[in-house]
Amino acid sequence: MSLSRSPSPVPGGGWASPGLNINTSGRSSPSQAYTGSTATPVMWESARLKRAGNSGYPSFSTQNKGFFTRHMRRISSSLPRFSNAQQHAEKEKDKPVRAPWSVQNLPLLGRLRGIMARMGRKMKMRLLFLFLLVMAVVLFYTTPLVYYWRRTTWLGGGQKFVIILAANVGGGVMEWKGAREWAIERDSVRNKKRYVNRWGYDLEIVDMSTKKRYAHEWRESWEKVDFIRNSLKKYPKAEWIWWLDLNTFIMEPTYSLQDHIFNQLDKHVYRDINEYNPLNITHPITDPYLDATSQSPIGDGNPNSVNLVLSQDCSGFNLGSFFVRRSPWLDRLLDVWWDPVAYEQKHMEWEHKEQDALEQLYTTQPWIRQHTAFLPQRMINSFPTGACSENGNDTRIHYNQDDRDFLVNMAGCEWGRDCWGEMYSFRELSYYLNRNPWELFKEDLVAVLWEKLTGHKVKL
Amino acid sequence: MHLAYHSRKASSAPPFPRGAKMPGLRRSRLKVIALAGFALLTLLYLVTKPNGRHTPYKEYTPSGRPPVVVLTVLDEAKYSSTYLEAIKENRIQYAEKHGYKTFFAKVGDYDMNNAPSSWTSVVAARHVLTQFPDCRYLWFLDQNALIMNPQRTIEAHVMDPARLDEGMIKDYPVVPPDSIIKTFSHLRGRDVEFLLTQDKDGLSSGSWVLKNGEWARFFLETWFDPLYRSYNFQKAETHALEHIVQWHPTILARLGLVAQRTVNSYSTGDHGEAYQPGDLAVRFIDCSTPSACEKEAEPYIAQSRAAFQSS
Repeated sequence: MSLSRSPSPVPGGGWASPGLNINTSGRSSPSQAYTGSTATPVMWESARLKRAGNSGYPSFSTQNKGFFTRHMRRISSSLPRFSNAQQHAEKEKDKPVRAPWSVQNLPLLGRLRGIMARMGRKMKMRLLFLFLLVMAVVLFYTTPLVYYWRRTTWLGGGQKFVIILAANVGGGVMEWKGAREWAIERDSVRNKKRYVNRWGYDLEIVDMSTKKRYAHEWRESWEKVDFIRNSLKKYPKAEWIWWLDLNTFIMEPTYSLQDHIFNQLDKHVYRDINEYNPLNITHPITDPYLDATSQSPIGDGNPNSVNLVLSQDCSGFNLGSFFVRRSPWLDRLLDVWWDPVAYEQKHMEWEHKEQDALEQLYTTQPWIRQHTAFLPQRMINSFPTGACSENGNDTRIHYNQDDRDFLVNMAGCEWGRDCWGEMYSFRELSYYLNRNPWELFKEDLVAVLWEKLTGHKVKL
Repeated sequence: MHLAYHSRKASSAPPFPRGAKMPGLRRSRLKVIALAGFALLTLLYLVTKPNGRHTPYKEYTPSGRPPVVVLTVLDEAKYSSTYLEAIKENRIQYAEKHGYKTFFAKVGDYDMNNAPSSWTSVVAARHVLTQFPDCRYLWFLDQNALIMNPQRTIEAHVMDPARLDEGMIKDYPVVPPDSIIKTFSHLRGRDVEFLLTQDKDGLSSGSWVLKNGEWARFFLETWFDPLYRSYNFQKAETHALEHIVQWHPTILARLGLVAQRTVNSYSTGDHGEAYQPGDLAVRFIDCSTPSACEKEAEPYIAQSRAAFQSS
């Protein structure tokens, strides 16, 4: 016998040789010439008979002989189909005989095809539409497509926002940077990274370590200026820059900046500082030599002229979380924010350095005031109860989980409060508040029911 | 079984039935058109969606009426009224000739928290921008100065970008001789918003031209900062100007330094370049007392009157 390749062994022993009927060779194949055979001769006899009966037809089936018997059911529903794979499996001689074309035996695909064949064109179109819809949803939400959609300037617009996170505060120069400090940094950075990945923003982590950067004076905490400038250069598509201190935590990552603030900037901000004025700044400026816009309490009233958005806490401006818009105005502000003459006269009073300098500028410079707007503190900068706590809990200042405040700023936690403790509890609270539906089902329904029924608390 | 005959068909064939009025607009095509329109609308929505409700912020551009406002601060307490009248007349004549406006402020007009009275020029300039929001240029000229050449105009002979491109002093120490801060070498004439001259002592704040706009407001308000006024600069607003020009690049980047005689000739050559006939203006800066200044000005007043009459 000559074969182009050696026949492969089958699990039962022996050789399966498709299309080969000669049974003269093969080590374990019993042959009639084999005298010492103890196998039941009946079986072999029947096999031989069968082979003789339908010689050339490679089926050993005794049932379903004939085309119609085999295909009756299928013909009544659809066109017949031949499946070579199945036939091949049936070639195994010693296998119990099966009906190759029975309905129960049809593969799922075949049955589906049957259904499809019986279906009308309109229904097919509808199903196709539904299928495409589902595919679109899957494609959009489980692939990076949604990320790029949200990021693109003319779609989601995520590229217009850059978050600057001030990390490595002090850099371990003034005080020891221990495990807790590292943990705070890790959590804070991860929180922002997840947020920007979700919404397609950019994140710039800057190093706030204490250094003597300038030859003849300390400009600590005016580094903000340099970092904002660098980010404007690095991200040419950025329109808004959001400065965040390290001790902040985005509690509601499902809020996008666009939805939360910028799509309706005019509705959220207030430009008349008299609405909440802890510093008692006289507003508006009424010097007679100024124009109407400078004397107006709300500037020109156009939300697009707002270039600086910040919030006020119990003691005035807070620069733990603020927004600036790329504009010539911003260049000017960054330029005059630090001035040696002002610094020389005021540095003893300026406890909060650049924050006080900004207050000074806001108070004295009409051009600054015209383009500054304030957000209610809890929109971008909620405080934990430990901060600004002199007058107890204030609904304007302090975080409230029922209102799902956007961001918590643990301002001043490094002075006598437990930064890591606060960070940890807010992190856990944020996870708890933003559980997914399955977790909600498990924890708020199943676990509660189980406890009611059995009286045992269950931990899932 | 008998059936009635069909009624006879009309011999003229009925017109081919059309569903739609317009030919060519079949249902299938309508569908395609509707789909395409929908896609187009979606695309339009996507493109125009951001900030659709508000027009983006644009700086107000002055229309240029009047083209120039000439500002002078008068010290009525120290100088005689005849002298001041002559000074005012000189400015008004010049302004009338070119369709400019004048603005005369008086020392003491503004509350400046006990700052030296020379600061009045800065706050008065800010007042001019309020009074004339559409003026293109503001020319501040010191009181002890006269416009000598009525033919020369600010927009054509001083602030014209092409002329500035040629005449600007670039890459030169802002405060001579040894300031390490130099005027930008890549500055172009059309970027200049503030035209200034130097004399032998440094920057001269007795005659300068400012282009109206947001930058001008920012600049004047920054210059007038209370912390500068309270700092006791030796030469008050002049030194404050030197300070902000050197420390704040947004200001230096708009500063055009030109030859002194463009707007700021001196009557004598001791402190700067001396006046030559044909110069736009002359200033009397060596006089120590008001009466000395008035005396020094007398021949120039006569000259300028003659010049204005002949022109």
